Amino acid sequence: MMQALGVKGLSGIGLLVALSPFWVGNPFYTDIIVTILYYAALSLAWNLVGGYAGQFSLGHTSFFGVGAYTSTLLFLNLDISPWFGMLAGGVLAAIMALLIFTPCFRLKGFYFCLVSIALAEVLRIIAVYWRGLTMGGVGLLLPVKPAWQNFLFESKYPYLIFALLLLLIMIGVTYWLGRSKLGYYLQAIREDESAAKAVGINVVRCKTIIMMISAFFTAVSGTFYAQYMMFIDPDIVFSMHMSIQVALFAIIGGVGTLAGPVLGAFLLVPLDAVMKGWLGTIYAGLGFVVYGAILIAVVMLMPDGIVKSAEAWMGRRRPKEIKEVEYLEDAVIPPPALEPPPGEILHVKGLCKSFGGLNAIYELDLSVRRGEIVGVIGPNGAGKTTLFSLISTFLKPDRGSVSFCGQDLGQMAPHSVCAMGLSRTFQVVRPFMHLSVLDNVATACLLRDPHVPRARERALEVLRFVGLGDQAHKPASSLTLPNRKRVELARALATRPSLILLDEVMAGLNPSEIRQIIELVRRISATGITLVVIEHVMKAIMSLSDRIVVINYGQKIAEGTPQEIVANPLVIEAYLGKETAHA
Amino acid sequence: MFTQLLQLTANGLLLGAIYALNAMGLTLIFGVMEIINFAHGEFLMLAMYGAFFLNVWMGMGPYVAIVVVVPLFFVLGVAFQRLMIQPLLDSQEIAQIFATVGLSIVLSNGALFFFSADYQMVRTDYSLESLDLFGVYLGYTRIFAFAAVCMVALGLYLFMKRTYMGRAIRATAQDRRAAALMGVNVRRVYMITTGLGLACVGITGSVLSPIFSVFPSVGTQFGLIAFVVVVLGGMGNLAGAFFGGLIIGLVEAYSGFFLDPALKTVVYFVVFILILLVKPSGLFGSTVRENG
Repeated sequence: MMQALGVKGLSGIGLLVALSPFWVGNPFYTDIIVTILYYAALSLAWNLVGGYAGQFSLGHTSFFGVGAYTSTLLFLNLDISPWFGMLAGGVLAAIMALLIFTPCFRLKGFYFCLVSIALAEVLRIIAVYWRGLTMGGVGLLLPVKPAWQNFLFESKYPYLIFALLLLLIMIGVTYWLGRSKLGYYLQAIREDESAAKAVGINVVRCKTIIMMISAFFTAVSGTFYAQYMMFIDPDIVFSMHMSIQVALFAIIGGVGTLAGPVLGAFLLVPLDAVMKGWLGTIYAGLGFVVYGAILIAVVMLMPDGIVKSAEAWMGRRRPKEIKEVEYLEDAVIPPPALEPPPGEILHVKGLCKSFGGLNAIYELDLSVRRGEIVGVIGPNGAGKTTLFSLISTFLKPDRGSVSFCGQDLGQMAPHSVCAMGLSRTFQVVRPFMHLSVLDNVATACLLRDPHVPRARERALEVLRFVGLGDQAHKPASSLTLPNRKRVELARALATRPSLILLDEVMAGLNPSEIRQIIELVRRISATGITLVVIEHVMKAIMSLSDRIVVINYGQKIAEGTPQEIVANPLVIEAYLGKETAHA
Repeated sequence: MFTQLLQLTANGLLLGAIYALNAMGLTLIFGVMEIINFAHGEFLMLAMYGAFFLNVWMGMGPYVAIVVVVPLFFVLGVAFQRLMIQPLLDSQEIAQIFATVGLSIVLSNGALFFFSADYQMVRTDYSLESLDLFGVYLGYTRIFAFAAVCMVALGLYLFMKRTYMGRAIRATAQDRRAAALMGVNVRRVYMITTGLGLACVGITGSVLSPIFSVFPSVGTQFGLIAFVVVVLGGMGNLAGAFFGGLIIGLVEAYSGFFLDPALKTVVYFVVFILILLVKPSGLFGSTVRENG
């Protein structure tokens, strides 16, 4: 309640400040407020990518400049209204983001930074060079033809209103993002890309969509800038300084928060104006020295920004709505999303994978029938986890094929495999550390139902099923290892798979915990889900499995019922050595 | 036409060698610490100013200035490592990127404040003279620069292959923890690597000073070129950076002649983006740090 009041109070003050020029009536003051508003909007647009997708753009002015030039050129040459030009620029920027940045999202973060700088620089040079169209470095002047349809006004007040609207739209977009499927997905991606893929998230597509949204609104701000200043040139609208300024506001306020970028703009834009006034042009550069120094100090000393640091300091990071949920053995989980055909569900044929000369998997065949529990055992380094990674397409095989429900997985990405109903867990658990246990599982539930509140309800049900109902609102990072393994399992179950690959869920657990997990695996199997289980705990695997496959040096050396396997001399040899086997 | 092509090729290689040395400094630091130094170009700007002022105040030639600039830059590198990079190693990605971005802003605008925006250049008696090699003209300053680059590259190669410290650097690049367990003093390796990286920048700046004008924002362009070269050669790959530099030099020379000098930057950025699309690990293999 206090917090709600605080938010309302702050918004009220913000609005009051935003509209204050109407009764202050000083043009210089109005100008500062307008600048604050559109910088805050720009910074929020940057924050969509920097804060939510975890990709740090150093060249957001690419989109800004494209917006400014598109609307201005359309207006000057074809007499098309800037209102339309604004949309055209936004769409153009979004397409540019799609074409140029999508490939970067497959690479490590710093490649994205470098490409973003390079793009802004290329566009700047093209704008300077293409004099016939852009007048080059001379820049473009908008005619003094104030009219509503020209998006040009005599008074500053209409600009003020538009800038405020733009900011409110950006706040709306950011607010929506925090509560949407896309927002949950981006959060998961930022925490752990591989784990995100394993719950069916298309990482590249999510990043591309948010990048396009960000590019669109950045370009819209660019048009606004052109209309407001009535002058653009390449060095201004494609400047790297502006890109960094926009990022700086978000970083100082707090990346990935709603209030952060707005706060950053409200603090720094006036500071900038004051410094310009005090220092004047004689001390060219000094203002930016201050900016740079602030940037260094903030990222090195307070990388979370003001908002998060203040929250932590005031001890208000306690999660809301803590409701203890009792442990429920009788919870049920929904059946597999896709009904698999009867008979063979997974077919692996002639699978080979080598790492620099070492055959991790060699000529391996495996067949799993619907409803089975198949155990996979073998000494350390036998290639068991590699096999799982190959089946779930996290690794591409050198040769051989994997088919699931009759469909070849050769060209598929991990997230589509998950969507088909093949789920996996990781041997080294990878929960989304900074999310609550509930959000971890809810993210996985979103694969089958994009409605967030419903997904959260479903997630709670799954958590009860695995016995984590009472831990739902704790951050995943606070859990013990056995419970993290359950989160891993719950996340896999939440995607409503027909087949789960379980990678050593019992390793490191004590005997009573192992008994509980065995019980849980049996209950999962009883719901009709097929399981392939890697395990070192022999007692567990022997009592669980209908059938066991033994792997050594990447090859299948034996297959059969648990009774057959324990009596197989080859298996004994692999585990205990040759002499024991012959003894 | 043939002579013209030869001339272009020579120009490209001579210029490319300078890019190569500059990029080697950047890739060395990245290869070992996995931090991109966005202030790299600004350090180069400082080195050029260093050579310039040594020339103005003490009458030192640019090649003599190397003797002063390089030790200074080595020390600067060690300080930079201790004060900025070391704390960043365990920080969030946002800090790893924006701290050096902030430093680049401080340095370039500080230079603007102290040195003004004027273009300055070291003038020597031989600045305008060139060697006539069967109709191909090679400027002396560029030949000297080329020779210096080749010597440094060779020296660096031998250092990496033959000395204990060189091996320790390569080991640390491959696996920080394993190297530490083998008795390598990782902190020392980091300081020396950064020192060497900036020493490369110091030499580049000195040999550049009679060829290019120095001004506060000169680092932006050279920094960007260094990034392009490093990506082209494979992030962290020293040999890759050397050949990548030569390639970018050639690309620049040819595109300047066949297209328009104003568009050369566009051309190598297009090359850059294409490399990322087609072969992000660079032309010379993945992050082959062993090649160092």
